[in-house]
Amino acid sequence: METIIEMKEIVKVFPPNVIAVNGVTADFHKGEIHAIVGENGAGKSTLMKILYGLEPKNSGEILFHGQVVNFKDPGEAIAAGIGMVHQEILLIQEYTIWENIVLGIEPVGLLGRINQGEARRNVQIKIDEFKFNLNPDDKIAEISVAARQKVEILKLLYRNVEVLILDEPTSVLTPQEIPQLFSELQRLRDNGKTILFISHHLDEVLTLSDRITVMRKGKKIDTVDAKDTNKKDLARMMVGRDVLFLSKREVKKPGPVVVSIENLTYLDGNKRKRLDNLHIQVRAGEIVGIAGVEGNGQFELVNLIMGLSHPSSGQIQVNGKELTSANILERRKCVSFVSQDRSKMGAAVKASITDNVMMTHHRLNKRFTHWKGLLLDYRYSRQFTRQIEEQFSVSMGSMDNPFRSLSGGNQQKVILGRELLLEAPFLLLDQPTRGLDVGSIEFVHETILKMRSQDRAVLLISADLEELFRISDRIVVLSRGKIVADLPIEKATVDQVGYLMLEGENKAIEQEIR
Amino acid sequence: MSKKFVSGILGILAALILGALIMLFQGYNPITTYGALFSYSLGGLYPLAITLRNSVPLILTGLSASVAFASGPVNLGQPGQLLIGALFATVGGLYLHLPAGFMIPLLLILAMIGGALWSGIAALLRRLFSMDEFITTLMLNMIADFLTYWAISYPFFDQSSYSPMTPQIDKAGWLPEFGNFNSNILIMVIVFVAVWFIFKRLTAGYEWRMTGQNSIFARLGGCKIDKNYVTVMLLTGALAGLAGGLVVMAGPHRFLKGLGANYAWDGVMIAMVANNDLVGTLLYGLFFSSLQSGALGMELITAVPSEFIQVLQSVIVLVVVAGRGVMDVVMDKLQIKRKARERTA
Repeated sequence: METIIEMKEIVKVFPPNVIAVNGVTADFHKGEIHAIVGENGAGKSTLMKILYGLEPKNSGEILFHGQVVNFKDPGEAIAAGIGMVHQEILLIQEYTIWENIVLGIEPVGLLGRINQGEARRNVQIKIDEFKFNLNPDDKIAEISVAARQKVEILKLLYRNVEVLILDEPTSVLTPQEIPQLFSELQRLRDNGKTILFISHHLDEVLTLSDRITVMRKGKKIDTVDAKDTNKKDLARMMVGRDVLFLSKREVKKPGPVVVSIENLTYLDGNKRKRLDNLHIQVRAGEIVGIAGVEGNGQFELVNLIMGLSHPSSGQIQVNGKELTSANILERRKCVSFVSQDRSKMGAAVKASITDNVMMTHHRLNKRFTHWKGLLLDYRYSRQFTRQIEEQFSVSMGSMDNPFRSLSGGNQQKVILGRELLLEAPFLLLDQPTRGLDVGSIEFVHETILKMRSQDRAVLLISADLEELFRISDRIVVLSRGKIVADLPIEKATVDQVGYLMLEGENKAIEQEIR
Repeated sequence: MSKKFVSGILGILAALILGALIMLFQGYNPITTYGALFSYSLGGLYPLAITLRNSVPLILTGLSASVAFASGPVNLGQPGQLLIGALFATVGGLYLHLPAGFMIPLLLILAMIGGALWSGIAALLRRLFSMDEFITTLMLNMIADFLTYWAISYPFFDQSSYSPMTPQIDKAGWLPEFGNFNSNILIMVIVFVAVWFIFKRLTAGYEWRMTGQNSIFARLGGCKIDKNYVTVMLLTGALAGLAGGLVVMAGPHRFLKGLGANYAWDGVMIAMVANNDLVGTLLYGLFFSSLQSGALGMELITAVPSEFIQVLQSVIVLVVVAGRGVMDVVMDKLQIKRKARERTA
């Protein structure tokens, strides 16, 4: 096999002192599908971004076709023949497929006019060449996420790249769309393209790739042939120990209804129905998981529960208390909330850890203040921060350091600590493990289960089916703002829920399940 | 704290060196110039007293801007709020006749009410019509400028004078002097401590700070950010208004044309140099005041024109503000190098 890319002793340090990539040496063959696997934060994305010229490296060497290369930006990498498709899809919604593809390298005619006919024709040729099932005249806004991803890939093929890097391409797809992507990638490989693909889903890695490079904590652990390995071995290499794929849920009968959401409907500014007549009940000691592809109403549901926006109709009650139009402080007395975005909603990252920990408690817990709530008691806040540090095993330097000096896992632990110690009966968790490493995820799951045994009502919104199946008691599937299924976990399967997430509107299927 | 301090001192030193280079280029002797500058602002009790007295409006408007910026609202209305505060104190001083013990606090409160009223208009416009205070406070500056000009030219005009000004206020409203030192410094110190305490130790100040850092986080945390917005606007307006009242009561004891000078804009600049840090605002306020009061002495002794101080101020602002960013980048780079070396070792 001919080696197309060699990376030697690559080092990348993120300020202040995070070693993201720690002396990685790897080589990639021409015409192979090469998976790079590792937990979140293992350095796989960073390594690929260095190759693609998106991040400068601090030391090391990259050889492409035996020549030392040093791409300063993605443009240079693409020109040389290396392209990358990112997790977030970056296309212009209002443009057609062919317009998006030729953007930047349009064939230009007289007086700088774009030669539309030629451009469209060229795009059609590429579509035919790679047998992509796309119509070049469709607008991006009107096609599915899977099709958009294909457009991104086609955009790079149009620029004649030899090496395609895909960053977690399956994370935006439903289980049914994944095989199609895989067969397309295999076809590209058979046409001589090299495909590097980042993932942390071991099953798909094993199905698709020829070789697999495993990374852990910035280091390369090994590169193995896919046919010589298995899921268990890969998992052990990724995590550094054996991983249990089992739920640790104990059987428990849920108590009375705590959270009751009824007839909840929300129209956005353009009168589009974002949430359609939602009914959700959560009982004490019960974890209800909300499954769904991102953007199907989860965001709106969170905003309505937290009071950032107000429903067009319907009710939200916690323990019989009407919250539908209560102010946020009133809601916080009965809702603990962990947001999916720590830096946007969950914390003030430049403020000290203590300042972040006090939030909400400063209004609800009398011990945090004196003089009828006027004066802060910083001594108590510090004591409280210490308590969170111990109880949630946070590793922090000084609690006066800015919140952002903590690692992602520790940030989430601090936020969890703050929210859980509010002792609210209802726990709203919006993707609480997003961006965390396996160790932290386990900790978060254990904590959530502990809350369940303390009879709190938990509503867990997640895009990760494995997570939902691991800890939920019931799964509610949300699709285009509607609840398309509400199943006890014993009766649900991953395939079925994945299918419902995608085909939610199909009434026939819904009935079949009932 | 120490890092901030070091970067501030380094910034000022670098700016002074740059200033020296400019002087050399113009054919002046930088050493004698700086010597004159600082001996006329800090060398001796009288220069020190002048420097301190002049620092009061700079520091109070600087505090106003720092508290506002660090809490979210972009209140740029200090010049207008200062003028209205000064007008309120003057009018009070013209028509009220009370013993000094009552008169002085009353006039100070009037000045604060005046400033708060002016920033309150901007806050009201924001709450009612979602108008950005960034624009409205700037507009209100102009209205305040002409409104006070009209007030001192017509209703409160001193008939015995030839240019627009009011008569002097009642002597009971004059701030007492202790030797060369004016008691406006004392009031400034008390206000500084109070503002620091509110901002750093009270629940309200905590909510303001968190809102300034991340307003969605504060809102979700249960802070009443709309109410806090109004409070911050009123407080920062009151601070600028107080600065105006003190200018009248410590200085000419009347409102005359051009009274506000450049105090408020310099205050905003000081807040920016201090990165909205309260102690930083106090220290930079004192430093800028020493530059400004030394300027006249410098002009007296050397041939360097006093306008040079404005050049020096601008250089300091640029060097300190830009230096802060550069310093972070350099420190990060050093740390990365060290870490990368540790790894290979």
